Amino acid sequence: MSSVKPARAAALTYGLVIKQLVTRGRLVALTFVGVVVALVAFLVGRAETNGGEADQLERGVTLISLLGFGLLVPIVSLVFASAALGDMREDGTLVYLWLRPMDRWPVVAGAWGAAVTVSLPVTLVSLVSSAFLVDAGNGLVGATVLAAVVGTVVYSALFVLAGLLVKNAIVWGLLYILFWEGFVAAFGGLAAKLAVVGYTRSIIADRTGVDLELGDLPLASAVVVPIVVTVAVLALASVRLRSMEVA
Amino acid sequence: MAEWAPPMVAAPLPEAPDGMVQVIGVTKAFGDVVAISDVTFGVGPGVTALLGPNGAGKSTLFRIMCGLTTPSQGEVRVLGVDARRDREVRGRIGLAPQQDGLFDRVSALRFVEVAAQTLGVVDHERAARAALDQVKLDADDPKPVGSFSKGMRQRVKLAAALVHDPDVLILDEPLTGLDPVQRNRMIAFFHELGDAGKCLLVSSHVLDEVARLGSRVLVIAQGRLAATGDYRALRNLMDDRPHRIRIAADGARALAGALVDRSLVDGVSVRGDELVVDTNDVDRFGRSIAATAQQLGIRLREVEPLDDDLESVFRYLVERR
Repeated sequence: MSSVKPARAAALTYGLVIKQLVTRGRLVALTFVGVVVALVAFLVGRAETNGGEADQLERGVTLISLLGFGLLVPIVSLVFASAALGDMREDGTLVYLWLRPMDRWPVVAGAWGAAVTVSLPVTLVSLVSSAFLVDAGNGLVGATVLAAVVGTVVYSALFVLAGLLVKNAIVWGLLYILFWEGFVAAFGGLAAKLAVVGYTRSIIADRTGVDLELGDLPLASAVVVPIVVTVAVLALASVRLRSMEVA
Repeated sequence: MAEWAPPMVAAPLPEAPDGMVQVIGVTKAFGDVVAISDVTFGVGPGVTALLGPNGAGKSTLFRIMCGLTTPSQGEVRVLGVDARRDREVRGRIGLAPQQDGLFDRVSALRFVEVAAQTLGVVDHERAARAALDQVKLDADDPKPVGSFSKGMRQRVKLAAALVHDPDVLILDEPLTGLDPVQRNRMIAFFHELGDAGKCLLVSSHVLDEVARLGSRVLVIAQGRLAATGDYRALRNLMDDRPHRIRIAADGARALAGALVDRSLVDGVSVRGDELVVDTNDVDRFGRSIAATAQQLGIRLREVEPLDDDLESVFRYLVERR
């Protein structure tokens, strides 16, 4: 018997976690939320505007940043990513990945990859549809795709870690989304820089040219910082997985 | 100025016992609750039964052995190393945990195959099929393990623990949920593995199972190692302990007097037509009670041991230490 190579360990974890994550209940509930966001976008798109295209774009950007990046992206990521290793931790199946001659980081990377893979289609389909439905031009669609990918990637890392740190990570995650991302970050300054929503808004603001509250970071920072944070958080999750007590 | 004092040091660990699994002075506390208290033993090749009531600390001890949790004190070595620190040794341990959780959405073959793959088995499908065959499960059954019965799930866990042909097998209540035929088959299989030089630690809270698992027994109760050694010696010890028996009979008072006169009991209390007796020689009492009643013309309606359950046996074993 020999150690399992990291790429193999990550691929095995990825396949296993995807299979466990995709349940009918989760997909139905989250697709419903996505459809609601798209429906609101449709109604906004059909509403009369006085300011022409510029006003339409601003309304579209505001809608997508509020509903899409304030709620849909973090909540979808929370549901899948917190369950990726958190469910295994709670039902005792984590032992089947832990008591193995494998490094810990590929397990975390595989689980995170699975969470991103499952979350992205749900968020992208809804948000891209919304961007089309508000009828504000292709610039908004491209910005929405980039911000959704960045947001899903970083939120998934945060919530994979949360699943390893606390029981009922969904509840803690919701509190984080509503209190920190939704309330504290609104004060701007350092709080906004410590919230993912500041980065996703900055991407949209930069790509569409719409002046958006909290969206004042340059595009490079808005993309690179979340990626660095993702790597750091996944490293923390690996340390946590190595040192935690497994039931 | 304060007087110099040597730095405080932890109490020295007891001498390491021999064995493929060595548990040395292990204590595990969860806050104020001590789950395992200063346990030391060594286990070599063959089948060793870990007997104890539910909540005695068996699963905690197994988790410590596998490195899944750290002891508060002491150390555990499996094949000479600490499984929590040494990654390679994890590939030589097979664990069937007590908890029922499995990856419910995959088939038995896929579950065991993933176990093989994550353990570095090269020909994983063949190994998975062989392991499922050993536990008499159909490898081609496409149903997800989430739809399996308790006994089938138990066998899937066993197959996953066996798939990489480990040197040390740690099986936590592996016979739970199996029917009598499967139980006998599994016990025979465990003995085959033990005879082949594998080290098997099998926990149970059922005395009859332990009797069939093998002669080597570790008894754990209230987190302490209450007894170790040969099963027959343990059985004798349990028979020699004080027993309490309730007897329902016509003329209970007369019967109580006769039992005391003949020194068949060490204590007796009578209430109505029932008496409760304490005896240190349950065999002699059992042989004499019917004859004594017959001589007195008393009809025995019921003779019932009050402390023949395992809990009282374990309590006795712990208290006598």
